[in-house]
Amino acid sequence: MTVANSIKPSISIKGLSKTFSEDIEAPTYVLENVDLTINQGEFYILLGPSGCGKSTLLNILARFIDKTNGKLEFYGTSYEQDVSQGFIFQSADSALFPWLTVEENVEFGLKLKKVATLERKSQVAYYIKLAGLSGHERKFPSEISGGMKQRVQLARVLANNPDIILMDEPFGALDAMTRRTMQKELIRIWQETNKTVIFVTHDLHEAIQLGQHIGIMSIGPSSKIISDYKIDLPYPRELTSIAFNEYYEKIQSHFD
Amino acid sequence: METVIKSEVSLPADRKRKIYKVTWKKVLQTGVITWISLLLIWTIAARFSDPQFLPSPLATLQGAIELSKDGSLFIFMAYSFTRVLAGWIAGNLIAIPLGLLIGNNQTIRSLIEPLINFVRFIPPLAFITLFMLWFGIGEQSKIFLIIYATLFVVTINTLTGVLSISEDKIRSAKSMGASKFQVLLHVVIPASLPHIFTGARLAMGSSFMAIVGAEMVAANEGIGFMIWNARLYFQTDWIFVGLVVLGLMGFLADRLLAWSGKKFLRRYGVVS
Repeated sequence: MTVANSIKPSISIKGLSKTFSEDIEAPTYVLENVDLTINQGEFYILLGPSGCGKSTLLNILARFIDKTNGKLEFYGTSYEQDVSQGFIFQSADSALFPWLTVEENVEFGLKLKKVATLERKSQVAYYIKLAGLSGHERKFPSEISGGMKQRVQLARVLANNPDIILMDEPFGALDAMTRRTMQKELIRIWQETNKTVIFVTHDLHEAIQLGQHIGIMSIGPSSKIISDYKIDLPYPRELTSIAFNEYYEKIQSHFD
Repeated sequence: METVIKSEVSLPADRKRKIYKVTWKKVLQTGVITWISLLLIWTIAARFSDPQFLPSPLATLQGAIELSKDGSLFIFMAYSFTRVLAGWIAGNLIAIPLGLLIGNNQTIRSLIEPLINFVRFIPPLAFITLFMLWFGIGEQSKIFLIIYATLFVVTINTLTGVLSISEDKIRSAKSMGASKFQVLLHVVIPASLPHIFTGARLAMGSSFMAIVGAEMVAANEGIGFMIWNARLYFQTDWIFVGLVVLGLMGFLADRLLAWSGKKFLRRYGVVS
């Protein structure tokens, strides 16, 4: 049963288009005819240069904005109604609630759902530990580092037990060393929770470091996913290994 | 060798200067020097003048004692302060929800914003006669005036607060399953609290301005009345008492407000 589940496509996108222009006759599309299938529990990377519409696609998946055309399904049913998603924003400063402590931020969604106090506390404690935030529960976001803030975002999202986790260049603003740590941490947490992750980045190293699949987006306008690489390397991945470099060369050729 | 000795000798002098500097800074920060200088200049200036033109600080103090003997000064203070407080609270109770409403609804914003930007340039004092006509010469007209004086500052500040909330915060709350009302309650209000608070503090200032005018025109009690009434008896010292008392009341109200903001709303980013 679990095997069957693990290969079931959880998200299916067919012929998806998006335009922001109000010109109905000849609109310019940001995204045009995007096709994409993502399996349950998969770590999927959307890779592309700035302005290619990868964040737009992610925002559509998050239901922050509406698609213009196309089909979006979740296990073959309506995506809009049935899926619950968590979103990790690039800027933790603008996404976290600065008036709440780390603990209260993680608790936010559970409180909204009116989860009983005891259950809530134990959930919060679990995800705080999972995200490596133990000892920081009572601190405010302004009192912790950038990497820590992204851990809070992750814990806050995971506490809601979403079907999919959408991440919009979450480590883009971190220094190189913290980014490495956070990438490793993310893989550890993903392996422990077995969530479907869709991760947007323009960093090719990061993409190969993290993803099971990498969807390459063409340069906009009218972007679509032009190819899909399966990265067949075990975690944790060696940045300097030959296999890693082969993937790097191959994928880089799309942008040269 | 020589330099070593030199530095050893100059060290205590340096330290002395440093201590002196720090103490001076501390004294300066208390504001004592400002007040002493002001009183000094005032006293000297009063020396060269008539007490009916410019009464000295001492004469003002005597006037204050005179006015407080029958308790009238405190009664007037209480009248003015109660009016300000009542109008200010009522004004905030109307303005904050109004600002939240305008900030959250594009249609209402387009409808109301032009009106606000027109009416807010009409000073409260201009409405005194009209409010007297509408609400009589009793307390009502004065409280309505304070409400008016509070309304726009607080509404506009609240609106600014709502509009400056990052979209990410609202989106993240929504993606965690928050309803529109929950977003308002748990994100919009806490995030705009610093702006709301600043608006309320500013409104306290404009409320004091409005009340004095109203009491001068139409009242038989209050600090404004006291100042206006003093002209009949050539009691210039009473005018000065009124000015000092107004300054003090405003100052204390603002300090109290700032302190409670710091104390109770610190986590929302209210710092002063």
